[in-house]
Amino acid sequence: MNENKILFNSGSLEEFSEEIGKLTNNDESKLKLGPDNADSGLAKLVLTLVELIRKLVEKQAMRRVDGGSLTDEEIERLGETLMNLELKMEELKEHFHLTDRDLNINLGPLGDLM
Amino acid sequence: MHDNVIDQSKDITILELLDRVLNKGVILTGDLVISVADIDLVYVGVKLMLSSVETMEQIKAGRAIIKE
Amino acid sequence: MEMMIYSILSTKGNPKNLVDLLIDIKGISEGVLSFVSFKDITAVVSAIKKNDINADRANAIIYAGIIEILTQRFTLLPVRYGSVMESTSAIIKMLERNYNEIQNNLQKVEDKWEFGLRIFCDSEKLKTELRAKSEADPQSQTIESTDSVYRDWVNRKLKEHRLEESLLTYIESIIAEIKVFLDSLNAVNKFKKMLTATTLLDAVFLLDKDQKDTSVYFIEDLQTKYPALTFVLTGPWPPYNFVEITIK
Repeated sequence: MNENKILFNSGSLEEFSEEIGKLTNNDESKLKLGPDNADSGLAKLVLTLVELIRKLVEKQAMRRVDGGSLTDEEIERLGETLMNLELKMEELKEHFHLTDRDLNINLGPLGDLM
Repeated sequence: MHDNVIDQSKDITILELLDRVLNKGVILTGDLVISVADIDLVYVGVKLMLSSVETMEQIKAGRAIIKE
Repeated sequence: MEMMIYSILSTKGNPKNLVDLLIDIKGISEGVLSFVSFKDITAVVSAIKKNDINADRANAIIYAGIIEILTQRFTLLPVRYGSVMESTSAIIKMLERNYNEIQNNLQKVEDKWEFGLRIFCDSEKLKTELRAKSEADPQSQTIESTDSVYRDWVNRKLKEHRLEESLLTYIESIIAEIKVFLDSLNAVNKFKKMLTATTLLDAVFLLDKDQKDTSVYFIEDLQTKYPALTFVLTGPWPPYNFVEITIK
């Protein structure tokens, strides 16, 4: 099949064929749970989920702060909790040698997008 | 230079094509002897695992799941 | 004899075309294409040996190529690569069992093509633009910097949050424009927004065959309106994304 299916393309083809490749069949997000790396494979899975939840909670909290319905004290406590949560996650990521990219959480704003 | 552009544009076309033919379209299940598509679906079901075309080479003979 | 199924065609009043069309086309692993019909629906198949299923790029492309040829002449449902059934009679039974659902889908895609639209952006550049806009906005509340490290943290996160919200609003408005256009053409569409930091939109839509040029013009206009974004329109494709049915 030789037909070129591109009707309109204003970008650099190289840059975007890489991006499209990522969006379709993505080797990098493959999670290998073999005997050698079962531990880190499992850690990755768990941390991905925890991080997802943490980010959702953080997002929801910011919406409320932005909405102006919280008292100063509430904001202060929220900040303390969330900041510590973020620090804890950083520690865990370091411990397991995982980056944000590994956890595949760089998906843009979370929430009701997908 | 001109050739380069044409090749890359073919790359996008091929990526789009493969995405469609491997991941979309009608799915047949049930009393099948083999389905490479089924194996693909096992991976997709886990969500964190997406098979690549190159990986599918491993699915060839010997590793195919035979259903009753 | 195991058969690989390429697609399911509507053959209302068209039986002669089939043979003419398929005389010279080879299938996967040099198999010969043939048809298995039940009433006015036909599966295009070729014989295949179990161990011959080469799940590789080259075969998938050949397979897709066959579907492309068929789609020029018939209304069809493309079948996912790798679908095999044990015999011709099994296929006939399958067509019979699923006749209604197949017919409904064939009707849905009759005389229509699928098109794909992706919109890419340089996320950082876009955020910088939006950040500049929001800082110039007198209405945006600023929370004063305090002695509290927690409060400062919240302030920082709040700023990021607002930036993301404005990015979202920006994307929503572009998508709304696209939706209005597609509605005017009575298109069926599927959108996935903001998949990665670079991809704003990944959409497919089903249009009448003669609306291809109109879509190209529309995207050209959008590009002029949003020069910082990159639009990639592809097609016409067989309706892969609009026949996501599972057949038993």
